[in-house]
Amino acid sequence: MPYTYLDHQADIGLEATGATLVEALEDAVRGLLGLLVDLETVEPREQVPIRAEADDPGGLFVALLNAVLAAIDLHRMFFRDVSLTRVEQTPEGWVAEGTLTGEPIDLSKHAVEIEVKAATYGGFLAEQTPEGWRFRCVLDL
Amino acid sequence: MSQKAEQIMLRKVTDYLFEIPKHGKMRVPARIFADERAIRDLTSQSSQDWNALQQLEHVAMLPGIQKAAMAMADVHPGYGFPIGGVAAFDPKENGVISVAGVGFDINCGVRCLRTILTRKDLAGKEEQLADTMYKVIPAGLGSTGELKLSVKEIDRVLREGAHYAVRLGYGREEDLEYIEETGRLADADPTVVSNTAKQRQLAQVGTLGSGNHYVEVQVVDQIYNAQAAEAFGLELGQIVIMLHTGSRALGHQIGTDYLPFLERATRKYGIEVPDRELVCAPIDSPEGQQYFHAVMAGANCAFANRQVLTHLVRQAFWEALRVPDTAIQTLYEVAHNTVKWEIHEVDGVQKRLLVHRKGSTRAFGPGRPEIPARYRHVGQPVLVGGTMGTASYILVGTPLGMQETFGTALHGAGRSKSRRAAKKAYPADEIIRRLREQGILVRAHGKASISEEAPGAYKDVDHVVDVMCNAGIVARVARLRPIICLKG
Repeated sequence: MPYTYLDHQADIGLEATGATLVEALEDAVRGLLGLLVDLETVEPREQVPIRAEADDPGGLFVALLNAVLAAIDLHRMFFRDVSLTRVEQTPEGWVAEGTLTGEPIDLSKHAVEIEVKAATYGGFLAEQTPEGWRFRCVLDL
Repeated sequence: MSQKAEQIMLRKVTDYLFEIPKHGKMRVPARIFADERAIRDLTSQSSQDWNALQQLEHVAMLPGIQKAAMAMADVHPGYGFPIGGVAAFDPKENGVISVAGVGFDINCGVRCLRTILTRKDLAGKEEQLADTMYKVIPAGLGSTGELKLSVKEIDRVLREGAHYAVRLGYGREEDLEYIEETGRLADADPTVVSNTAKQRQLAQVGTLGSGNHYVEVQVVDQIYNAQAAEAFGLELGQIVIMLHTGSRALGHQIGTDYLPFLERATRKYGIEVPDRELVCAPIDSPEGQQYFHAVMAGANCAFANRQVLTHLVRQAFWEALRVPDTAIQTLYEVAHNTVKWEIHEVDGVQKRLLVHRKGSTRAFGPGRPEIPARYRHVGQPVLVGGTMGTASYILVGTPLGMQETFGTALHGAGRSKSRRAAKKAYPADEIIRRLREQGILVRAHGKASISEEAPGAYKDVDHVVDVMCNAGIVARVARLRPIICLKG
């Protein structure tokens, strides 16, 4: 599984893996999106840009998830998928850029599950493994 | 960083209080209000990846912490801080301010409204009221409020809190007296809140949210303390309404923005933290001050949100039952994700401390000037939310609580099962049917809300309240039974 959910009494843990940093981050975003709304009810009709910055790859994982949560409110859209076109270290820190694909929120069509308030550093893990990258954090519900 | 616990040492202090003695990098002990049964449950979870006792030990390691890192009887794992925790810091001893000590839902809290209605007045009209509440009160992911604000107006929300909502016509002036801090924190500074946070909130003032947030219509089914009940205006058979929500996306974004900000401050000031989520800054540092002023702005947003929702509850009662809005009064509003300056005695010395309450409620005893005049002689009302199928409680703060817990008590039942386990164990349709058999109507916007918030996913609220009352930290005033529950 590229992402898994971990039991936590109040919230939920999200763990994502990928052969590359890009894949692991994309899978993390997919894991988040799948919690919010039944993705089968969201059509990939529009794209919006997404961008996150942080001091290290683990921070980028948390910042990217939080940027996705902000994008839902800012664009009033639910998203079905993500594609990252740029993930790299710059002199200022780490940057991820890409696009989210989805459509404007329509509560008569979209089967909402639960609101995620934020991605946190609770239960945080960021490591490079022989297989690639592994990230984990607690999502505040 | 793995949070797997090593062996946790526990010492029984009284039948209702346990202590983890100060050891290793802990600056103070950790104290947990629990009985043997509850402590067994907590220690049995200590092998899990995240557990509340180890989180409490970590809090006890933060600079400037006073007396003890404490957990109320509803404690369960959070992120960084355990939920149900309280920690007070002295700026004169390099005390810190922490994002995790407040949480992302800044100033999340509960308001209780008392009505002039009795259970009989609602008989046969429950469905109609439930449907109207579902229609009138925006709830669940993606919902928007009827109030659409500009960024300029959001700045006023952040400065003026519930007062601005009243100015816009949501609720009445007299509501304000019965809100903690009268619904407005003067230290708020909208200029240190990001534009993203404000933009996210433009359509979210007056929305309930999801997860454990709710509006419940309840009936008073037990009175324990006649004097306090009279002061609070409570009688047997009376209908009351509880609403539980917070600062919505704006608060979440403040937490998100300030987590990396304080992480850099943690490095700058050389603070050693045992968990990345516990990043913090000295209270008196520019970074600590900036976060504090942002949190105060987020708190004002939550005050305004609950004020608008109070208006919507009144609107629903008018539309469904033709009950005038003056028949529904604010009994009290308490917050349970906060950080505040308060005066407390530590080792015989009066100190000005920054008190973090993460999933715990201020519970001041009689006489404190912060309590509304009408209640001051009995103590502050403490609102404890139960679950959809179980009781909620109105308690009152005690002098012992002031000495022992910085005037802090529990905030709810506390979860016992994970959301995933609850989802598997409690199919939504079955929960709705079973609650209906008990005379409780449920309306929910999100499919997940009902299963994940099923009564069986929580600790036994009666037991949790017993522990805190037996410990003398709070005293029972009234028990409330749910009739209608609206969830996100």
